[in-house]
Amino acid sequence: MTGWFPPLPNPARRLIAVVLAFWLALAGGLALARARRVTVGVLMPAPFADATAELVQQFNRDHRSVQIAVSRGPLDTEALSDLAISSLLLGDAPYDLLLMDVTWTPKYAAAGWLEPLEPLLGDQALAGMAPGAQAGNAFAGHLWRLPLLADMGLLYWRTDLMAAPPRTTTELETIARGLQRRGAVSWGYVWQGRQYEGLSCVFLEVLRGFGGQWLQHDAGQAPQPALQSPEAIAAANWLSGLVRQGITPRAVATVSEAEALQIFGAGEAAFMRNWPYAWRELTRPGSAVAGRVGVAPLVAVPGEQAAATQGSWGFSLLKGSRHPREAAEVLRWFTSEAVGRQLAIRYGYTPVWTSLLEDPSLEAALPLLPALRQGLLHAELRPLTPVYAQLSDALQRQLSALLSDDQPAALAMARAQRQSALILQAAGETP
Amino acid sequence: MSLLLLAPALLLVGVVFLWPLLRYAWLSGHAASVLTGLVPLANGGANWQRLLSDGRFWQDTLQTLRFAGVSLSLELLLGLALALLLHQPLRQRGAVRAAVLLPWALPTTVMALGWRWLLNDPYGPLNRLIQGLGGSPYGFLSTPATTWLFTVLADVWKSTPFVALLLLAGLQTIPPELEEALLLEGAGPLQRLWRLTLPLLAPYLLLAALFRLAQALGVFDLIQVLTGGGPASSTESLGLYAYLNGMRFLDFGYSATVMLGMFLLVLLLTSGLLLLRRGWQGTLR
Repeated sequence: MTGWFPPLPNPARRLIAVVLAFWLALAGGLALARARRVTVGVLMPAPFADATAELVQQFNRDHRSVQIAVSRGPLDTEALSDLAISSLLLGDAPYDLLLMDVTWTPKYAAAGWLEPLEPLLGDQALAGMAPGAQAGNAFAGHLWRLPLLADMGLLYWRTDLMAAPPRTTTELETIARGLQRRGAVSWGYVWQGRQYEGLSCVFLEVLRGFGGQWLQHDAGQAPQPALQSPEAIAAANWLSGLVRQGITPRAVATVSEAEALQIFGAGEAAFMRNWPYAWRELTRPGSAVAGRVGVAPLVAVPGEQAAATQGSWGFSLLKGSRHPREAAEVLRWFTSEAVGRQLAIRYGYTPVWTSLLEDPSLEAALPLLPALRQGLLHAELRPLTPVYAQLSDALQRQLSALLSDDQPAALAMARAQRQSALILQAAGETP
Repeated sequence: MSLLLLAPALLLVGVVFLWPLLRYAWLSGHAASVLTGLVPLANGGANWQRLLSDGRFWQDTLQTLRFAGVSLSLELLLGLALALLLHQPLRQRGAVRAAVLLPWALPTTVMALGWRWLLNDPYGPLNRLIQGLGGSPYGFLSTPATTWLFTVLADVWKSTPFVALLLLAGLQTIPPELEEALLLEGAGPLQRLWRLTLPLLAPYLLLAALFRLAQALGVFDLIQVLTGGGPASSTESLGLYAYLNGMRFLDFGYSATVMLGMFLLVLLLTSGLLLLRRGWQGTLR
């Protein structure tokens, strides 16, 4: 037996045997998995995979020829993107469908990783969805994505501390300062100020609330950044002013969604900017603020419309899918009204279909529904361009300096403007 | 024949080291980004020109050097102290050694998350302590001027055990007779350390320094999890910048250029260290 096998000390031989057995088992497992019927692979963040698990099981029971295999990806948006990109770069994606953040669509489409959906689903695939949910799925003349759920920024407020939520920036400051002065809360307003995508989302809402724009689209011209406009500087100034006045804690420079939820959920802040998911966390039994939280549109200056940054998750079909037809069928099922209704009732996911958003029978399960409907009317899309990640990164850097390093708003915005212009210029020049 | 015997090793080095390096060098001469549909188009030295005039690259280079220099020197000092301590005949030596090694055994992302929580403002244990003592919470991770110090602290906490382990191995190769001989001649502890231990430990110190330097210059996961490069990009490392360009911006040509710039930096500094060794050996002889 040991004739061809050089004599090794016993533990080493055992180790080699274990490694060999592992590889054999792995190969065997892969071979078995391959022998099954048409399986549509779907990659999504773990929470979505958990929420849809029962429905997927049902689908697999009801369908013989098509089976859905969901891969649980990381929870963090960027980590999921890294995983997806790594597998896409290897050429042969192991998934057919990918659940994508709204900002990835133009980038992935330009990289040539997505299959246009209109040949498989027709031109009317988005018809019947709320306008705020329709935006961001088509780019460069093709449909690349169908939304599973809608998402938008909301203002959470404490119903026990005030009679009505503020509508304007000044009202918010006044209420917050008053409550802080009488010791009702430590902080007035918490939001996402860490140097990451959330900061861009927060800023876009404030910017729109001040009447400004991120990119300016003049007819017949390439879009230009408008970050140095008086409105943009006023918006940046308002955010840093909140920190200077102590309405927002200095720690906001490290705060992402989870930290904001922690502060507001502990009852230590009067207002919070967050996504709809926070509602379930704040109202679950045992929450320190259960029954004392309301939701309203974000604030704006008088005369301007309050906006909510649109963030949504949707499915795209990856190029190189071996079963595009079956994958499209699965995609259509995932984004159907029936599934949307179930996800809304069971997990509080914001529906994309107008029929569901306007369905009074859903309001019992989803008390937020009127606010969500309202938010989707004024949902603000982040710039739809393959270089969005660069634009957002440039903005985040300057906003972070504004919040953490006392950089003057005019200077921060001038720098963001210059860098954004360079990014767009480079994007226009490259063939 | 000898070449044949070397072949497997050469092949391995070629595949995992030389090939990626050549591929990066090739990529750095191309525009290969989301704007070209990821198709590489030769663009001469445009990426390198951009690198030279990219203020952010140089800022990140300085920040990376600062991080590597400070954490490396602290780790060597503390690692040496720890190794000397662990070399003493302690009771429960095995348990003590295991406890000391624990930080090194933790995955970096896990320990970085732990530090992010420890340093949380205002709920982290450290700020609780400060508040308990009557102070007001400190923004460990929200001040561009000082946040990098806390990334160094986390790195030192994690990597000192590694240095200590290497040095401990070195200490155990020093024959006890030599120490006894010096003791008989009446040398004090400091003298023994300076005249005997340190010179004989030099190769191990150098090895630890090399390993840690290369790792610290390429730091990515710790920073990514702890600060994400913020606030105001004050903790962004070269590794993080290369990652941003590649994975977020899908600009692989420029990302490869940044990586190569980083590689050159590592090469330069590690060869500097190796030259230092030559000088060292000269004096020993």
